[in-house]
Amino acid sequence: MKYIEFKLNGENVQYEGSAKDRLLDILRETYRLTGVKCGCKEGECGACSVIIDGRLANSCMIAMGSIHGSDVMTIEGFSNTERFKVIDKAYGDVSAVQCGFCIPGMVLATECILAVTPHPTEEEIRRGISGNLCRCTGYNSIVKAIGIAAKEGEGLW
Amino acid sequence: MNNIGNSVLKKDHSKKILGVAKYVADVHIDGVLHGKFLRSKVAHAKIKSITLPELPDGYTIVDKDDVLGENKVHIVLEDMPVFAIDTVEYIGDPILMVVGPDEKVTEEIVSKIVVDYEELPSILDMTKSEVTFFDYHHGKGDVDGCFENADKVYDEILNTGYGEQLYLETNGMIADYHDGKITVRGSLQCPFYVHAAVKLATGLEKDKVQVQTDITGGAFGGKEDYPSILACQVAVASMKARKPVRVIFDRREDITSTSKRHPSTARYRAAVKDGKITAMDIDIIYDAGAYSTLSAVVLQRGTICATGVYNIENLRVHGRANKTNTVPKGAFRGFGAPQVFFAMDLFMNHVAKGEGRNSLEFKQEHIVVQGNDTSTNGKFHFHVPLREMIKEVDILCDYKNKKELYDKPQSGRFRRGIGIQLAFHGAGFTGSGERDLIKAVLKVKKYKDGTVEILTSNTDMGQGLQTTFAKIAGKELGIPFEQIIVRNPDTDKVPDSGPTVASRSLMVVGELIRRATARLKDEWKDGEEQIIEERYKHPEFLIPFSLAEFRGDAYPTYSWSVQSVELEIDMLTGQHNVIGAYGSFDVGTPIDMNIVVGQMEGGMLQGIGYSSMEFMDHDSTGRIRNNSLSDYIIPTAMDVPVIVAQMHVNEYPYGPYGAKCAGELPNVGTAAAYIEAVEQILGKKVQHIPFTVEDTLRAISAKED
Amino acid sequence: MVKLNNGYVPETLEEALSIMRDEKVKPYSGGTDLMLEVGEGASYLFLNKIAELKIIKSDSDYIRIGAQCTFTEIEESDVAPRILKDAMSQLAGPAVRNFGTIGGNIGNGSAKADSALILFVTDSLIRLKSASSERTIYIKDFYKQRKQLDLRDGELIVEVLIPKKYLENYYYKKIGARKALAITRVGFAGLLQEENGVITHVATAFGAIEPIIVRHPEIDEMFIGKTISEARGIKDNYLNLYENAINPSAGRVSKEYRKTVCMNLLKDFLNENGI
Repeated sequence: MKYIEFKLNGENVQYEGSAKDRLLDILRETYRLTGVKCGCKEGECGACSVIIDGRLANSCMIAMGSIHGSDVMTIEGFSNTERFKVIDKAYGDVSAVQCGFCIPGMVLATECILAVTPHPTEEEIRRGISGNLCRCTGYNSIVKAIGIAAKEGEGLW
Repeated sequence: MNNIGNSVLKKDHSKKILGVAKYVADVHIDGVLHGKFLRSKVAHAKIKSITLPELPDGYTIVDKDDVLGENKVHIVLEDMPVFAIDTVEYIGDPILMVVGPDEKVTEEIVSKIVVDYEELPSILDMTKSEVTFFDYHHGKGDVDGCFENADKVYDEILNTGYGEQLYLETNGMIADYHDGKITVRGSLQCPFYVHAAVKLATGLEKDKVQVQTDITGGAFGGKEDYPSILACQVAVASMKARKPVRVIFDRREDITSTSKRHPSTARYRAAVKDGKITAMDIDIIYDAGAYSTLSAVVLQRGTICATGVYNIENLRVHGRANKTNTVPKGAFRGFGAPQVFFAMDLFMNHVAKGEGRNSLEFKQEHIVVQGNDTSTNGKFHFHVPLREMIKEVDILCDYKNKKELYDKPQSGRFRRGIGIQLAFHGAGFTGSGERDLIKAVLKVKKYKDGTVEILTSNTDMGQGLQTTFAKIAGKELGIPFEQIIVRNPDTDKVPDSGPTVASRSLMVVGELIRRATARLKDEWKDGEEQIIEERYKHPEFLIPFSLAEFRGDAYPTYSWSVQSVELEIDMLTGQHNVIGAYGSFDVGTPIDMNIVVGQMEGGMLQGIGYSSMEFMDHDSTGRIRNNSLSDYIIPTAMDVPVIVAQMHVNEYPYGPYGAKCAGELPNVGTAAAYIEAVEQILGKKVQHIPFTVEDTLRAISAKED
Repeated sequence: MVKLNNGYVPETLEEALSIMRDEKVKPYSGGTDLMLEVGEGASYLFLNKIAELKIIKSDSDYIRIGAQCTFTEIEESDVAPRILKDAMSQLAGPAVRNFGTIGGNIGNGSAKADSALILFVTDSLIRLKSASSERTIYIKDFYKQRKQLDLRDGELIVEVLIPKKYLENYYYKKIGARKALAITRVGFAGLLQEENGVITHVATAFGAIEPIIVRHPEIDEMFIGKTISEARGIKDNYLNLYENAINPSAGRVSKEYRKTVCMNLLKDFLNENGI
């Protein structure tokens, strides 16, 4: 029997628990990556967003066994990148961070939008964050921030 | 205009976007015990017996017998027990808590507990309730005379539904009893409210109770009273277990068992003579749920504001908060006002129609102006900017032309309508609450090295208070705001500057900060530690408010809004598509433009949700069926792409740099604009919100028949 | 094949089917439905590393989509039919689309499944395999009753086969509570093909309204062989038959709502085709 081996924020790790364990729980409790939030545990809010093999995922809906051999990135890993700096500044410029609970998920969703579409239309932006609920902002400032990041991050995506 | 409004990088931006901000669920404590509630499965019953399974080592039950102080949660009154005594009053009423080291095991234990209920009759309809928690009357003039002499009398009943705050971070609390002291930390708005409640429930002395505010992931009023309840429960548990106890709600538990917006039913009657409303008689009932919690204050605001922005000189208002065997209702952005502003503006539209008048013109003829009496014979002391704001909104969205255009017969599958609503929000605590109940005091501390810290009990729940407080202090002192320290309040370390409610923090506490730091600047001594204390001073221009008579200035001033909603309906499916939501908002001087506009946009979207998609109700057994995020529907980023909020600055001389209340305003005056648009499209009267897609299709089908 | 604690990660379909035969496992496709359940019981059989289940290809008669294709992969595919891509693009949100699979969507047995609606209206087939058998059946025969599938022990859904013939002219409408992240309350799909002024194919299907997706080819076939104007002549008859055939159950919305919307969309579909 093998341990679950995967890459977590660039580092090779081994998880010794059950393949049925929820990725969200393991990230928060075993790896202490509390930037990954729990808003509903039903895949309906996006607060638990992570990036798995380059794709946006709700970590509450991912069983550990399914990421064996995969690449998992959380906000803690992404925040070390150049792209994050551009997103950080953009969100800051328009004060898109209110209570902050949705924000790590929104940032990763931002990365996933721009990685596929470096110059998204507003509609594409809204679609790209449509799985991330926010109750504070009304979404305008977040959409604006993503547009700014796309512009300012010319060449990065 | 002040340049204080220039937007800055928020103080809490970095830690939140980096994902390092610790909310209560992120706090790791070695050896912490997890708590899981056993909650009532029936709406009203006597608890005949409770049969517990055998408990593994390390697992304990905590219930009413473990409350060392008083088994009461102090909110306004104290009718709610910390743990159920011998009855349960709603589905979700907490009976006991299972505490132990493994969360899954505590859940299993809870599922094995058997409660023998003797069911009692339950009241689920607020109009049929025989228990009225609070009953208020107020009025002025000769209402009966006006109705007798009226050319026409309008009479209708308008209803509003539940609302769930749906903060992204659920309720959570950790309590640690150690060395004779209980420390509670968690997601909350009012640390001193929690302090008072925990003190009563534990029986400990004031200085043996400590409440620490964690970074709070949204609240909107949902964490105004509820944390007091949860805090008492975890505190009692920790005192019993002699270990830290942690409870973090999952979403379903949070939706079904924490406070909600009061549903309401209101009968609005108006006497019209010579084309003008001469008198109104209003009877409102709020569904308070099973316990009184904040209903007294919600009801006060509702009855005081029942006539909205209109000058009704002959007035009778009767308001009741009735008990039902459903989840206790509490605070949600607007706090009783969204219900009555919806009802009043929609009613005005209906009266206008009955009089053959254009609704906006009719409403404008009744708008209050500076100098008018308020509904409680206070005064509108300051300029009322509604006329200018109506013009601004008209420019923003072309309301008048579209109103006319959409009045013309439409024949396609997709049809449009537009509506406009006028509202205000009474700034701060009702009446003399600030002076008599809150008595805010704060401190500004200057350290020897010149750094300055603001010590208040107000919490940043996303509305940017840490930033705006720091900006005010920084501006007065001539210090960059980044260097002003503002921490999450800890009752051991800060004085009680009052709760973070009623949109009072910036206007009242912010002004105290301004005065304190202005004094500090004058008295500044390099190299010395200095503490400046500032206490609330009641503005002298106010006409004293009597709660017994509902007379006087209920609020020192008002923030104003004009909102318009343009809507499109798919006549085949009943689905709604908001083409645009537009608003002009007067909150005085914006202390930070991005922060204030962000609040307006967020509130408008909540108002849109309240109008249609956010449907919630209890079923015939008293159970809330919409108990998950797939069933309580809030807007996504795709739902309302056009939201435009514009600030109209009308400075308030007694607020910091002219600022007045902001946070709740945008949620108060959206629903009637939305429903006016619905009515225009359907050509049918609507008398309730949320007006769902189903309601819409039913109306369309009925019309065709 | 990798054996984990409470899980198996096969690399080939053959490995997966052997495990299905020999062990008590629960197939895990994308997890987006499965993970809503409490995790007690059988180990998970993770299917997401099986390359042969991720192929989308087109042959002479069918577009073949591997059961492990995610909704995003289908949406991004140049080969997948537009009606299916349309449905996939409106399903839930990006993260769910990235991991949910068409096999899992069908395997859930729900009449709300957005992909199943498309498979019903296109009269698609699904291929099922076990370690010792293989069969290809019509999707309509796979759904026996609400959440009860004709899925035998040891079988996995491996592929869907969508007939290529009549996919061009389609009508699709999903009704949820909002524009994204919405469970389907009523789903409607329609196909109509005309050749030389004569209707050669009509198909309609209604999702989320009854325990199984509603498909009545015997009613739809009324229009075959008719011209558009002849079709208009029998339209009332057609609609009456559907009025009687559709019997929605109440769910998140009422029966009346579902019935009215179904009939409205059906009429609109006909209108759009000139009928």
